[in-house]
Amino acid sequence: MIDFLQTTLTSFVALIPVTLAQSLILGFVVAGIMIPFRMLSFPDLTSEGAFPLGGCVCGVALAAGLGPLAAIGLALLTGFIAGCCTAFIHLRFRIHTLLAGILVMTMLYSVNLRIMGRSNLSVFGTETIFDWVPFVQPGFPLAKIIAVGVITLAIFLALNFFFTTEKGTAVRAVGANPVMAEAQGINVWAATIGGIGLAGAFSAFSGALMVQSQGFADVNMGLGILINGLAALMIGEAIVGKATVWRQLLAPFAGAMVYYQLVSLCLAAGMPPPDLKLATGAFVLLMLALPTLRAARGRQAAAPRESFRE
Amino acid sequence: MLEIRAARKVFYRGQPDEKVALSGLDLTLNTGEFGVVIGSNGAGKSSMLNAVSGSLALDSGQILINGDDITGLPVHKRATRIARVFQDPMLGTAASMTVAENMLLAELRSKTRTLRHGLNARRLADYRDRLAILGLGLEERLNTRVDLLSGGQRQSLSLIMAVGGSPDLLLLDEHTAALDPRTADIVMEATVRAVEALKLTTLMVTHNMQHAVDYGHRVIMLDAGHVHLQIGDEEKADVTVADLIGHFATKTDRMLLAS
Repeated sequence: MIDFLQTTLTSFVALIPVTLAQSLILGFVVAGIMIPFRMLSFPDLTSEGAFPLGGCVCGVALAAGLGPLAAIGLALLTGFIAGCCTAFIHLRFRIHTLLAGILVMTMLYSVNLRIMGRSNLSVFGTETIFDWVPFVQPGFPLAKIIAVGVITLAIFLALNFFFTTEKGTAVRAVGANPVMAEAQGINVWAATIGGIGLAGAFSAFSGALMVQSQGFADVNMGLGILINGLAALMIGEAIVGKATVWRQLLAPFAGAMVYYQLVSLCLAAGMPPPDLKLATGAFVLLMLALPTLRAARGRQAAAPRESFRE
Repeated sequence: MLEIRAARKVFYRGQPDEKVALSGLDLTLNTGEFGVVIGSNGAGKSSMLNAVSGSLALDSGQILINGDDITGLPVHKRATRIARVFQDPMLGTAASMTVAENMLLAELRSKTRTLRHGLNARRLADYRDRLAILGLGLEERLNTRVDLLSGGQRQSLSLIMAVGGSPDLLLLDEHTAALDPRTADIVMEATVRAVEALKLTTLMVTHNMQHAVDYGHRVIMLDAGHVHLQIGDEEKADVTVADLIGHFATKTDRMLLAS
């Protein structure tokens, strides 16, 4: 038993820096999931397609000799367009947001294959943004942690600022009450398309960083990213809350960091990787079911009075 | 000034359950005038209000505000000139946002939204002053989420939000109908005070005949999608609830005979 704990702990601790780098990168896709769900009340699945889209675009751009920043810029743009498409499909044709997201995500799979021309692409050895971090050896987790950490901080502050500006407050109003927002002169279409586009751009950004970090792009890299992201978001909200704007914005980044360490701990403890999605799904289900389960227990307590009436 | 010219709207056209909501409705409301709209269910009150606010597109006809044709404008563009208080207190405010944020949204209704910080000290002080007029203590709860307020408080907040910035037209859609009688009176008193102080052009729909008798400059009675009867200034001073109900009665008889 002691032996088991010791080996688990040793391999977990050894993996902390790598996992941290990975979780910081994936924090952006969690933000790309949080914005539609929480800020716009627009349950959206586009991220599952936008994440590999960003990766594929970035990979192809790097392979074509573009600089790492230009590659990320292209990825952001395509992710933004993907998000806009989902929002437009929902608004124009009144298709449920989840179905609109599934449509875009499914179509993006073909698009991603077309962009790369094959199912995976190695960009190992090309220059990445992680090579620019001063004083540390490129390619090591520390370089990634510093680079992505700085970007995360900057984006978190920028988002925090935006959502308390006049424009940002209007975008939040669209999520809180679209009828009221419209009556207050807010263009619901523009805010929704822009907001979901922004979320798509975040997911694509995450995919692009992931490709630069791991050195290859793969059409299947988005598989299950949504459910992982939701799990991370729920953990983040449980830890930092969601009552104020800055807490809600901090939740995806904090949640990603904690969630991927938990996953790493499970793997270090010997959980077979194929079971990971089942466990994550069960976890998300539990978090979603919790309020209903609590309510059911409340009803049981009140049950005698009810049965009395019958 | 609000002008509605020959407004026509038919629902389910060509189907067995075709319904004429507005049948060539004409109405002019002068600047600073307070019109009270009454009528039985299905008379076209809501259709008229929705056509003015932009959430219902007319089949034909025109809507003008201060002489400008707004017939083709979407809701959010009209909102720069029209403010609305909904019947449902839930509809008029953003529940998950704070009182101050809701006030900010209303203040920006007729302005260009910038990338500057929204809730600055000057605005918060202004909101505190404006909410204090209600006497409900809302000025001390600027950072409270609106879903923690009672229906009456939410509706009072909606009212203050709507009258701020002196809109060209104020639409009140049975805005006291969902409240208990005492709260309804408080909201109604606050409405009248604000409308008189700011000389707002106001169109109020109500089912409350006493309100129709007590408030406003003119009673406008709708029937079958057009203006059936208007009772203006001098005449309105003498009108009673019984008179108004009398007008309903003749109409109901006719409806019974026709059916």
